[in-house]
Amino acid sequence: MDTLFVKLWQALVSGLSVGSVYALIAQGYYVTFITTGALNFGQGEFLMIGALFGLTCYVTLGLPYAVAIGGSVVLVGLMGVGLERAAIRPVLRHALSLSWVLSTVAVSIILKNAAVNLWGPEQIKFPSPFGDVVLRIGPAGIFPQELFIIVAAIGTVLLVQFFLKRAVLGKALTAVAHNRNAAAVMGINVQRMIVLAFVISSALAGLGGILIAPITFAWAYMGTVPGIKAFAAAIFGGLENPIGILVGGLVIGLLEQFFGVINSNLKEGVTFLFILLILALRPTGLMGKKEVEKV
Amino acid sequence: MRLPVFAHTGPRHWGALAVVAAVVAALPLVLSDPFFILVLQSLAYLFIATLGLDILVGWTGQISLGHAGLYAVGAYTSALATTKLGWSFWVSAPAGALLAGVFGALLALPSLRAKGPYLAMVTVAFGFMAEVTANRWSLTGGPMGIMGIPGPKLPGGAEMTPTQYFWLIAGVALLCQLFANNLLTGRVGRTLLALRGSEVAAETVGINVYRWKVLAFVISSVYAGLGGVFFAHQNGFINSDTFVFGLSVSLLTSVLMGGSGTLYGPLVGSVMLNLIPTIFAKMHEYHLYIYGGIILVTIVFLPDGIVGSLLKMRVWRRFRRLPAPVEPDPGALDWARAAGGERPVIAVRGLSKNFGGIRALNQVTLAVRPGVVHGLIGPNGSGKSTFVNVLTGLYQPTSGVVEVQGTPVAGAKPHRMAELGVTRTFQSIRLFGDLTVLENVMVGFHLHLRAGLLPHLFRTRRALDEEAAFRRKAMALLELVGIADRAHELAQNLAYGQQRLLEIARALAARPALLLLDEPAAGVNPTEIHHLSKLIRDIRDAGVTLVVIEHHMELIMGISDVVSVLDFGEKIAEGTTREIQQDAKVIEAYLGSAVETVRA
Repeated sequence: MDTLFVKLWQALVSGLSVGSVYALIAQGYYVTFITTGALNFGQGEFLMIGALFGLTCYVTLGLPYAVAIGGSVVLVGLMGVGLERAAIRPVLRHALSLSWVLSTVAVSIILKNAAVNLWGPEQIKFPSPFGDVVLRIGPAGIFPQELFIIVAAIGTVLLVQFFLKRAVLGKALTAVAHNRNAAAVMGINVQRMIVLAFVISSALAGLGGILIAPITFAWAYMGTVPGIKAFAAAIFGGLENPIGILVGGLVIGLLEQFFGVINSNLKEGVTFLFILLILALRPTGLMGKKEVEKV
Repeated sequence: MRLPVFAHTGPRHWGALAVVAAVVAALPLVLSDPFFILVLQSLAYLFIATLGLDILVGWTGQISLGHAGLYAVGAYTSALATTKLGWSFWVSAPAGALLAGVFGALLALPSLRAKGPYLAMVTVAFGFMAEVTANRWSLTGGPMGIMGIPGPKLPGGAEMTPTQYFWLIAGVALLCQLFANNLLTGRVGRTLLALRGSEVAAETVGINVYRWKVLAFVISSVYAGLGGVFFAHQNGFINSDTFVFGLSVSLLTSVLMGGSGTLYGPLVGSVMLNLIPTIFAKMHEYHLYIYGGIILVTIVFLPDGIVGSLLKMRVWRRFRRLPAPVEPDPGALDWARAAGGERPVIAVRGLSKNFGGIRALNQVTLAVRPGVVHGLIGPNGSGKSTFVNVLTGLYQPTSGVVEVQGTPVAGAKPHRMAELGVTRTFQSIRLFGDLTVLENVMVGFHLHLRAGLLPHLFRTRRALDEEAAFRRKAMALLELVGIADRAHELAQNLAYGQQRLLEIARALAARPALLLLDEPAAGVNPTEIHHLSKLIRDIRDAGVTLVVIEHHMELIMGISDVVSVLDFGEKIAEGTTREIQQDAKVIEAYLGSAVETVRA
């Protein structure tokens, strides 16, 4: 009984730390979805580039972790500019409304190939800047990195929300999300705001990558599953509900860790089963707006 | 994307198909390299799966990023049935396809109401579920997989040679293509395109949206499952590495590369995309660059796909067959004369509808006598549209009774109301834009067409005769409303006023006892309004009862036998046009009371 309790306690902390990374990536889905109705299906590969580039900065070049974080965020953020130009802008007016799904997946496939060429196909250990010492919190052993992830990721999510609600630039972006034409008439450069949305979205993925790499591994194929699970988190909360998305990320992180305690075979599948059930009952997510078609 | 070249022709190109089939059959004889034959087999079964996905993507507009999961269901079912249960391939193969169909129906459930990214999530989640299950379940063997899957045996008991197996897959693929052609160029394709155009409008002519979407998912899944079956028995070994998200992406890319919604796009797209790994086999380090680049270029520069773009070229115009002229059936409205009687066509008592705290309709009691034009007027926000939406089943009433011909029907869905003889047009036009004008009316006949899935699958004489007969009836309705000359154009290309007329023709095709027109004159020019009022009277004289909601007073006063007035969700007056025009309450509702006028 005691060991089960310890396991559950540990699952709680790991669940929150993995879940907060899902929430972080999913916040990126939110920012671009409200402005363009599209999102980057290759968000996971952007995360992977963030992790591997961070590895190069931190391990190969020996730069401080903080600088490595900055480097990853800036590089992956800039990749957002390219993504918007190459894979989003040209397809948004297409007849098939979900063309962006495939165009962003295509970019992610190319990134995977690039990562294999640059960093090789193997899993690489990313040493945690906080060391491998295990902290004792209550009965369980916790890596300091896990606590850092929770603080940094949730802090960033709140910061992004603060930016969107309070900062002038953020308000302009929110205005574009509400009504593109009205925003344009008010003198806001809509196109630039869309680029900004993709920069924010990508930067968040880059940050997620360098945060999570020390507790997983860094390698070319690390991104796909977190990317999709973060998508599930965003769908769970409703793509237009930032609070729902934060909750969704944490719920999904906790869910898979707790099921992992019961049976490791359940861990991978439970997220998807869960999201299928949610969507069968609530087609716009558990906390999403109900869509009413006006007749 | 809908290409007019396929609008009416159907597969008249049997000769061309026969030649292609012969060439394909000869390929393994000419190029007898064993590797080449394997490639041919793969192309054939991947084509079947791609074609299945196109039925979903191209015709219903639903995207699926989980078809690898259905492909897996087919593969594992047949592999397990042959290895563990000792079934013959000839039994296990259809079993695999059918079970994939069952999973397709399950997948359809959460897909029905989910839209856009939410729908994408449903299919992605399904695909990952399948992948994880294959990977973790002891029965499917995980990464160790299932080994020793036997190939099909000939009737004599001998194993099929690779060339014979290719002929089998290619033969089935040809059948799949023919069945798809039959379905998609006939009633089934038309109905699916209608759903894509407007689910709400499809419901109001009696289409059970739920059932048809499930049907599309099931057909699509059976094809995907069949592809998986052939894959399993080709390889002799399957494991969880095959059925990954990347396979779903590749299937979807094949569809878009060839051109979704074209008959032969899936063939072109799947062959081209799946040949790429073979062609670039020596450049495996850059394989994903090339693959990703091709997807991106296809999506960005060829939104209609290869076949779609080719068909759009002007060169084809001169080869395009003109649609055969359709002789209108003179008895367009004969069915209406049978209706009549004295009972109200529709009657509501104490009808209320709340939206949150707002009461849009408050205790409305109203009866529509048969054979009249019943006008319904009221200022903006008075509840007229809500009233029509409740009567046609789009909204459920909060309280009150709705009776059709004396039978209580409150709570019935729109397609059920259409079966009961109540249909409508829309204030904001809802046509099936990808269908021609004539086809829009054909969709309206949904409740009266008898030939269902099987007759259309085999394109029986009965199905063809029925289609031809109803095309003539549709033409007659177009003549009645006055747009017969535009019959073969896409509905989205009609002028605004003509689109309104087409909505009326489509609604008449459902043969309603009661037709509700929701602001038929909105945005229509004065000449057309004159035509419209004559049309409404003609329809009434033929025996159809109408309820007309309008702001255009001249029109409503000119055509109505009875007028009811709504204000703030309540019925404030009812009577002949003359009575209404002199009713103090009505004048107040529209112009404000005398006191307020003085103050202003």
